[in-house]
Parts: sequence; C-alpha cells; structure tokens
Amino acid sequence: MRGMRFAFFCREKPAPTGKRIAIVGAGPAGLSAAGYLVCQGHEVHIYDKLPEPGGLMLFGIPEFRIPVYRVREGYKELESAFEVKFFLRAKVICGAEKNEAGDEFVERTTSLRELAENYDAVLIATGAWESWLPNIEGADLDGVFPALEYLFRIKSAKLGHMDWKDIISPEGKKVIVIGAGHTAVDAALESLLLGAEKVYMSYRRTIKEAPAGAYEINLLKQRGVQWLELTMPVRIIGEGGKVRGIELVRTKLGEPDESGRRKPVPVEGSNFVLDVDYVIFAIGQTPTPPSGKDLNIAVDRKGRIVVDDRHMTSVEGIFAAGDVVTGPSKVGQAVRDGLYAARSMHVWLMGGE
Amino acid sequence: MDKKILHVDYSLCIGCETCQSVCDFLHNGKPNIRIYYTISGLPVPINCRHCERAPCLEICPVGAISKDEDGAVIIDPNKCIGCLMCLAVCPFGVPSFDAKIKVVTKCDMCADRRREGMNPACGEMCPAEAIFFGMPEEVEDRIRARIAEKIARERTSYVHVKDVSRI
Repeated sequence: MRGMRFAFFCREKPAPTGKRIAIVGAGPAGLSAAGYLVCQGHEVHIYDKLPEPGGLMLFGIPEFRIPVYRVREGYKELESAFEVKFFLRAKVICGAEKNEAGDEFVERTTSLRELAENYDAVLIATGAWESWLPNIEGADLDGVFPALEYLFRIKSAKLGHMDWKDIISPEGKKVIVIGAGHTAVDAALESLLLGAEKVYMSYRRTIKEAPAGAYEINLLKQRGVQWLELTMPVRIIGEGGKVRGIELVRTKLGEPDESGRRKPVPVEGSNFVLDVDYVIFAIGQTPTPPSGKDLNIAVDRKGRIVVDDRHMTSVEGIFAAGDVVTGPSKVGQAVRDGLYAARSMHVWLMGGE
Repeated sequence: MDKKILHVDYSLCIGCETCQSVCDFLHNGKPNIRIYYTISGLPVPINCRHCERAPCLEICPVGAISKDEDGAVIIDPNKCIGCLMCLAVCPFGVPSFDAKIKVVTKCDMCADRRREGMNPACGEMCPAEAIFFGMPEEVEDRIRARIAEKIARERTSYVHVKDVSRI
C-alpha cells in the first residue's frame, strides 16, 4: 500500500453504528473526515463533481509535488476496505445552478436539502474553486485564464480524463502569470515543462513578500522564468478578440495595508508593454459552497461558510470544513480542519458533548 | 530488536503541513512534527530523528530516556525531572517542555499506534510520500525509487510529454 491512509485511526472497519453521513467534496478535508468517521463505525458517502476523488491534490497540484498513486491508492482503500461510497461527477447544489471551475465533468446534480434529509449528518467540504479575475480592460479576451482552470485542464489530461487537445497548451507560446502564490508557481512551472517559449511572472510586491516563498521563486528564475517584481497589470491588449500583449505598470511599496503588508502603489508614467499570448491570473480564489439559498447556510462577506466551534453551519446537522470555511489554504490545513470537524460530527451524532 | 526508522526526506517535502496537522490532531493541539519556514522561504519539517546513538539518551541524568523494541527513542514521564539537558544536546532541538505536566515530551514514533499494529500517522498521511517508516533497507529502497522518478522527470522533455507522461 503506497496510498495516503485516510483511515489512519484504525486497522479495519469497526462494527457499524448505523449512522449515515454524506460528505460533499472529496478533497483533503472531505477524505480526511471520511477516514476518521469510518473508523468510528459510521457509513460514509462522498459526493464530488470530478470524475475521481482527490480534489485539488489530484486535479490542481502537479504530480511532481503530490504523486498520483498517493491519492489514488488512498481513496481506493477507503472504498474497498472501509466501504466508503463515492458518487462522482455529481455536483451538490443548494437551489441554484452556478458555473464554477471543474464543472466540465458534472453529469448530475443533487440537492443539499435532499442530502440533509437522507443522512444523519452532512459535511460540506467543497473548497475554493472560484478564481479572482481583475476588473481591467481586456480581461475577457481569448487567452486570459484563471490559473486554476489552466492547471486543472493540464492535470485532467495527464490523468486521462481529458483529451490533450482540450488543454490550454502553452507550447511555443509566450505566457505571463500574474501572482506569486503556490498556484502561480505551479502555473509558471507547468508552462515551462510543457514548452512555453517564454514565461513571465508579474507580482506587485517583491520576492520577499511572495506568498510561495523566495525559495520557489528563485527556483523558477533559475529555470528561466523572467521574474517581474513590483509590477501590476493595467490592461490586456487584444487583436481580433485574442490576447496580443499586456501593459504593466511598475509599483513601489507604500504604507502597510489592513493585511499588514506594504501596499503596492503604481508609479505614474512607468507603464510598459510585453508581447504575450496567454495571461494567467493566479491572484486568489474564493470559497464555493453549494450554490443557492434553498437552505439558509450563512456565509461571511468573503463567501466563507460560517461555522461554530463544533464546525456546524447555521443549519443543524450540516457541518463544514476545509477551504470553504477557511478560504484558500494548504492541503495540511484542510486535513486538519476535516479531522476536527469529523470528531465534532461524531460527538454530535452519538449525543455527547 | 528490529530497528525501524522514521525518515523525513527534505527534498520530497512540499511543505503542505499535513504531517503537522495529523500529529496536532492526535496530540490535542501539540504536534511533535512541525514545519519551520527558513529566511529563504523553504519549509523544513522538524521532528525527532530517533538517533541510533541518541545524545539525549546518553546525557539524561536520571535515565529517563530509552529505546523501545522498534528503536524509537522514548522519554519516561515518570522519571523525567524536566532539566532540559536533552534539549541542550539535541542536534534538532526536538525535546519540548510540557508546561502542563512539567516534563519533557517528544515524538514517540506513535507508540500507542504501533502497539496496535499501525504505523506513525505522519507517514501514513503525507501526500508527497516524503515520510517513510519501516526497516531501514525497505525505506532506503523506496527512497531510491522516488529519486529515480525524479531523474526520469528531468529527462522527459516537453516534446515527449504527450506520449509518455500519462499517469
């Protein structure tokens, strides 16, 4: 066995409690929660919009970071040894349909209300699949992509779920990635590996503030990525509906903003233009809970599901964990949140305090 | 005694913090493996290496530190006097003073889990397979296999990627 052992709390399936739990989202939070819950004897069903469980571990993060077998063998063990049932290509909605990244594979929708009625408890672990795109001229041109969609397509092709001709191929193209987080780094790296002619990376602060860390940025620079720190996009230049170039402006760091980091201020008259074919935005994602207001699940102004200290949402019996609660984070933080939520669910189901 | 090793490979670690999360969950919010970020931004997991010739075991003035049947370096909380000599000599800064129980604690290679025939949880859950547990020769073999994959990746240029890199 070389897979992640999501059910690491027990060697084998214990005697059943008779409780049934639905988990929405088979990413790190959902799978970790499932692992805990099956070891407590609960029956777990997992719904996911993708054709395979794993979430961004499989469909977002490149395989040279997380090996595919780690995730695949991991969910297969949940399936075979712990009788977790996966309902794939199934998107759970809450009254309204809404298009999000990763919807390409959806074949059916299920309502959250139905799940809440049919199961003893529900866990929402749907992550943060909606990408930020800036409101600048040319952002709607052909050739502008959110990094998540870009990576998602490449990974889907590698996994055999999508034809290579349907990916956004960077081969022979000039690509600029905006942002300096882990998603930006991976988008730049995949562009290089898939044969981009030129890869730029634009970040409005300096390498010292890069969320992915200076180490990762330096690795990219060493591999030939042109690092443009203290720059930000002003407009995207198109020709015949397609991206032809991008206008950037230099920035300088001013006073600290509410996040405590120094705020980038555009330097007037420092604009310059680069010839590029693709503009890939990796400037952040927002949580994507099941869409609609059929059930009154409270979210905060950043779109994150609000939970109490038991990880329960504003609806009794519906819990939430992972990026959909915390906002975009790391695999480990999603795992942690999933585990603690699962323990609360177990306590709640068994009537303890 | 069949010595087992718990090995963390720093070149395979992706800094996702899953090990720390799982250990945190098992130890009520006090993980024995933690990621530290260096000035250059590199995430480095720090945990007990369960040394063969463990300086902590040798220096402990009350003999509170011993090795169990798998080779794990264990602190006996009933014997520990909290002098922190173990921390002073540990090359990795691992031993940690627990203010609640007033003794030094550290990773015991998931002793409770091993008694039940399970492996250390950090290694079970590491998404990158950067944490290995087992007999030294098995672990070393597995590490080399991973390195071979890495070398193969470097050699697979983009021109071939469509034909050979399906996974």
